[in-house]
Amino acid sequence: MVSDEIVLQIEGLSKIFRSLFAPTGVKAVDSLSLSVRRGETYSIVGPNGSGKTTTLKIVLGLIFPTSGTASIFGGNVADVSVRERIGFLPEDAYLYDVFTGEELLDFYAGLFGYPARRRKELVDELLSLVGMQANRRVPFRECSKGMRQRLALAQALVNDPELLILDEPTSGLDPAGRHQMTELIFELKRRGKTILLCSHFLAEVEEVCDRVGIMYRGRLVAEGTLAELAGAPTEIVITTSGLAPEGASRVGAHSAVLGIDGDAVRMGQESSDELWSVLDAIREAGARVGEVRRPRPSLQDVFVRAIRQDAGEQDVAEEVH
Amino acid sequence: MGNLPFAIGFVVVVALLAVTHRLWVPALGHGAASTWRIAKITVAEARRRRVVQAVVVLVLLVLLFMNFFSYLNPREQARMIISGGLSAITVFGILLAIFVAAFLIPQELENRTVYAVLSKPVRRFEFVLGKYLGAMIILAVIMTIMTVVLVGVLLVQDHFVPDFDHSVFEPNLDNVIFAAVMSYFAVAVLAAYIVLISTVSSTAMTVIASFLIWAIGSLQSQIHDLAEAAETVFQKWFFTMFYWIMPPLENFDFRHEVSNFMHVSYRAGINAAGEGVLYIIIVLIVASIFFNDRQM
Repeated sequence: MVSDEIVLQIEGLSKIFRSLFAPTGVKAVDSLSLSVRRGETYSIVGPNGSGKTTTLKIVLGLIFPTSGTASIFGGNVADVSVRERIGFLPEDAYLYDVFTGEELLDFYAGLFGYPARRRKELVDELLSLVGMQANRRVPFRECSKGMRQRLALAQALVNDPELLILDEPTSGLDPAGRHQMTELIFELKRRGKTILLCSHFLAEVEEVCDRVGIMYRGRLVAEGTLAELAGAPTEIVITTSGLAPEGASRVGAHSAVLGIDGDAVRMGQESSDELWSVLDAIREAGARVGEVRRPRPSLQDVFVRAIRQDAGEQDVAEEVH
Repeated sequence: MGNLPFAIGFVVVVALLAVTHRLWVPALGHGAASTWRIAKITVAEARRRRVVQAVVVLVLLVLLFMNFFSYLNPREQARMIISGGLSAITVFGILLAIFVAAFLIPQELENRTVYAVLSKPVRRFEFVLGKYLGAMIILAVIMTIMTVVLVGVLLVQDHFVPDFDHSVFEPNLDNVIFAAVMSYFAVAVLAAYIVLISTVSSTAMTVIASFLIWAIGSLQSQIHDLAEAAETVFQKWFFTMFYWIMPPLENFDFRHEVSNFMHVSYRAGINAAGEGVLYIIIVLIVASIFFNDRQM
C-alpha cells in the first residue's frame, strides 16, 4: 500500500566527473529531482550511461554529488542509522567469492550487530526466501549467475529493510532467472517494501513498478505511472486473416488507414463511421476480421518517444532493449 | 634473560586479546564489532586463498635450509642461523605486508565488494581499520610461526649437535624472540603506510610506492644526516620533514645486535614500539580521512 510519506527525496542532484583528460568534466547526472513514497516500487529506466547507477551510488553515499541533495527517511545516508533501514543489491552481484552463501549472509548480518543465534535464524530464512537452501554451502564463485543474484538479493535483505535499492537485478540472467527474480521482487512488494529499482529491461519494469522515471543523458526526461506516461490510445489495430496482397493494397489506400503490418491493419482514432468503412473494405478484399483493439503504448514505446524527443529526433533504436 | 619477559609478555597479551575477543569487542560498541567482523573476514579470505599457507611453507623451507651449515664452527653456525632466520622473518614479513596490505582496499574497489559492505551501517574508517587489523592478524600468525620455527631450529641445534656451545646461544634466545617482535612492529608500521597509499591509488601504484617507502624507511639515519649537513634552510626543512614523515623502520631492526651476540637495549625497543604505535595511529587516521572522501 503506497502512502504519502516520502522515503527518498532527490533534489537538484548533479554529478560531474572530472579528470585530467576531461577537465571540464562529464556530466553523469544533471539536475535530477524525484521522490519515492513509502510502499511504492519506483523504477529508474534508461539506456547504459544514462546516469542510473551514478544516481544510486549518490543515494547510497558511495560517491558524492557535485550539487543537490539526496535524503533517505529525511536524513543523510552518511548517517549509520539511515543505512540500518536500507538494503542494496549492487549490479552484477559483487560479493566475496571464496565464501559460501551461508557464510556471506552471516557476515553481512553481523554488520548489523545481530547476535549469533539471530544470525543463524536469519540465514535460514533468507536462504529459503531466495531458494538457496539446497546450495547454501556452495562457494559464491562456483554459483551460477542466477544463484549469485539471488544471494546478492538475500544480503540486501538481512536487516529486513524498509527501502530496498536494486541496481539491474536481472542483468545477465537467462529468462528463467529473470522470471525468478521478478517473482522475488513481487514478493517483496507484497510485503510492503519500498523499492527503488534501476533497470534497462523494460519488460520487468512494466511488470512490477508503480511509477517510472526515464533518464537519458543524466536527466529525468519523463516521469509518472505507466498509464500517465503511455497516455490515451492513439490508434486502432484490426487483426485480419486471409488478406491477400492485392486486397491489402486496396485496404491500404483507405484514407483512415495508417499502415498494414502483416495481418494487422492500423488506423487512427477516427469516427465510428470511418472504422465501419475500413472494416467493410477489409471484407470486400476477401479477408475476415479477427479482433479490433485500441492498444496503449508499451513502456518501450513511451521510452523511445521520451528519449527521442529529448535527443531531438535522433535515432535511438540501438539504445533501447 | 633481560628481554624475554617483554617478548613473551607481548605475545601473551596479543593471544589473550584474540582468545577473549567475544567478551570485549561487543563492549566497545557497534563500530568496534563491525571493525572486528571486517578484520575476521579479511583473515578468513586470506586463509581461503591459501596466502598464509603458501608463505609459511616457503619460509619454513628457508629456515630449515639454515640447518645445513654444519661445516661452520658452532658460534658461526649459531650466528648464521640467527642472522639468516631473523632476516628471513623480516624480509618475508615486509614482502608479505606489501602484498597483503597493498591489495586490501584496491581489490575491494576493483572487485566492487566494497559496495555491499559500505551500504551497511559501517563507517568508512571502520572499514579501513578492519582491513588493517585483518592484515595485522595474518602477519602476526605468519611471523609467529616463523619465529617458533627459528627458535625450534636453534633448540634442535642446541640439543642434538654434540659440540654446540651452549654458552654461545642460550642467553641469546630471548633476544631472538625480541628481535622478531620488533620486526613485527616494523611490518605493522609499513603496513599502515601501505594502507594509506592504497586509499588514494591503484594496486600497482601502491606496490611500487610501498617498496620505495620500505627503502627510504630503512635509510632514516642517512636522511637525518642529510638534514644535519644541509646547507640551506630549505634543504634542512625538506630533509627534516622527510625524516619525520617516513616510517622509522631502522629503529625496529635489532638483527645485527642479536646475531652478533651484542648487548640489546630493551629500552630502545620499547621506545621504538611506542613510536611505532604513534605512527600507526596517525597514519591510519590520515588514511581514514582520505578514504572518507574517496569516490567509489
